[in-house]
Amino acid sequence: MAGSNRFLSLILVLGSLLVIFPGTVYAGVHDWSPGEVRTLKSLWIKSLPTVPQDPSNAYGDDKLAASLGRKFFFDKRFSGNAKVSCGTCHRVDYAFTDDLPLAHGMGTTGRRTMTLIGSAYYPWLFWDGRKDSLWSQALGPLESSVEHGISRVFVVSIIFQHYRKEYEDIFGPLPPVGKLGRLLARPASDDPGAFKGWLKLSLEDREAVNRVYVNLGKAIAAYVRTILPGISRFDEYVAALNEDRAGDLKGIFTDQEAEGLRIFIGKAKCTNCHSGPLFTNGEFHNLDIPVSEKMPFDAGRAEGISLVLADEFNCLGNFSDAKGKQCQQLWWMDTDTRKYNGAMKTPTLRNVVERPPYMHAGQFNAIREVLDFYRGSKNPDIEHQSLTNSDLKALEAFLGTLSGPILSLGE
Amino acid sequence: MKKAILSLMILGLISWTGCATTQTAHDDGGMHAPMTQHYEDSIFKVTENGEFSVEVLFPDKKVEMGVNNVDLIIHNKKDEDVTGAKITVTPWMPSMGHGVMETPVANEKGGGLYNVKNVVFSMTGDWELRLEIASGSTADSVKIPLPPVGAMGHTHTMKAPSPSEIDTSMEKTSMKGQFNVSYKSDVHPIPVNRLLSWNLDVKTADGQPVKNAQIKILGDMPEHGHGFPTEPEVSGTMEDGQFLVEGLKFSMPGWWVVTFHITAGEMMDQVSFNLLLN
Repeated sequence: MAGSNRFLSLILVLGSLLVIFPGTVYAGVHDWSPGEVRTLKSLWIKSLPTVPQDPSNAYGDDKLAASLGRKFFFDKRFSGNAKVSCGTCHRVDYAFTDDLPLAHGMGTTGRRTMTLIGSAYYPWLFWDGRKDSLWSQALGPLESSVEHGISRVFVVSIIFQHYRKEYEDIFGPLPPVGKLGRLLARPASDDPGAFKGWLKLSLEDREAVNRVYVNLGKAIAAYVRTILPGISRFDEYVAALNEDRAGDLKGIFTDQEAEGLRIFIGKAKCTNCHSGPLFTNGEFHNLDIPVSEKMPFDAGRAEGISLVLADEFNCLGNFSDAKGKQCQQLWWMDTDTRKYNGAMKTPTLRNVVERPPYMHAGQFNAIREVLDFYRGSKNPDIEHQSLTNSDLKALEAFLGTLSGPILSLGE
Repeated sequence: MKKAILSLMILGLISWTGCATTQTAHDDGGMHAPMTQHYEDSIFKVTENGEFSVEVLFPDKKVEMGVNNVDLIIHNKKDEDVTGAKITVTPWMPSMGHGVMETPVANEKGGGLYNVKNVVFSMTGDWELRLEIASGSTADSVKIPLPPVGAMGHTHTMKAPSPSEIDTSMEKTSMKGQFNVSYKSDVHPIPVNRLLSWNLDVKTADGQPVKNAQIKILGDMPEHGHGFPTEPEVSGTMEDGQFLVEGLKFSMPGWWVVTFHITAGEMMDQVSFNLLLN
């Protein structure tokens, strides 16, 4: 009898505990194993090393260049209709991207604008990685007829007119532009007239124009290198874990957010690709994301590999300040294009909930649509165990904790 | 390591092989009847001198890295079934300039059908089947290209054994026992998503350092169907059988298999290391 009494009181004690702590659905949700803590620290912003040097850009950490680059970034005169700047698509008020499925400058492009948060850390730029440095990336849109719609000769004339002193203080004398002829001249595969104008320039003039154009790119890159993620609630949560402030965890994350984090690093295996403090491996994957039938086939990285190799402005080219194996990413790049048909770069998840739509052509309007797509996918790179609706809600709640201030020069 | 590691994609085979039901060998002046292709999803080819037609089928409906099963239907130039032929099958990798150590065995099933077991594809890439066919006094050969190894995003997965079953030792004897190989990474524990260099130590079975060797490197994630996002290579040979391997990059956490194909003089062997990355 005494034994069953004791058993009864145990039940009563446990029962009263349940009343006192009603959050039993997520019992132990803030307890993390040593392995999980290791993973969480690998995602922590404090694990982000200082911005890596770009050996191809001698001006990458030049403060004057960054400040001039910031002016270039927001200057709409660098466009065919005087209405488009880098900041048009990379909006400061929208996590350095825009709210459109397909980027829109002078016309509409075939892909969504990528955010610039932390882009100094990526070996490859653009969805297809067709650029291997930020300065080279900045030069692409200027001569694209659907983005800025101008030419490198036009760029030189704008700099000559409006930025001469600032430019020369950093990069040395500008070449005389009076004899440059047609402002539309550029080595353009889509405009034979512009190409002919370019070829009519002397080799020396072409070289001089290219040098100024590249310096503009290097200045813009110096600015973009300052666009970095700030501390999010997720980072505060890991900081508390790291400092053994277990009691603080509940105040930082809701139980649902902590559960979402556990699913993110656990059974959903999101960290297969969204790894490291920027929540991306910076590599390329084809996830068979549906694209509108009206869109032409997009080969993604398969084409990007050839484009970056052929690019006159790549790390191994004449305008780079790096040599040989300093260009380590390009040097060791996988050139087997067959493996990357339709593959696109893994984007960062920093500030992700603030910047719909999602995917390379803005296919999904909401995070939940993305998660639903991933749940249904049979792609081996998206391997996960079965996810319930409540798991997806928890994941979505967790993703909301990845938002923080975005730091940049002058902001 | 003979373990099946990566799958080839059978997907695309149907479109890739075309839909012709008959083909004619033109290179002998059209002296014979059209040769029949029985199946739309087969690979069909006429031998170099037009003596035979070969139709390749995969009864398991898949081609995997590892051990495979292949059916061959052989006709002569009169489009008759060839029986009693002697067939030598060599899986060949043109880009690497090598085949495999295992010899596949062709067994006649009758009616011109031969089944070949033990067709081993030891790594990803473009493979071909090299066939030598002898029937009576007639002999001919053919190279039959196979579909390329599956790419990122293909549907194959190979489930990982449980971590306790994976041998992650950093020192191993090669498949045929010709070399003892060990590696040391410049960063340890091995991080995800960073360019790394390894020092590879290669010795013969009796402990002699291997000084001149051609070494090819293949990284693979068996559960994902893809490998390194880079092209690592041996960039330096040091003393005492040490080789510097640069450009390794593990782009994901999980199970990786890094295989080294080593050719030194007459010796050719391969060794695979397993890694479990967090």
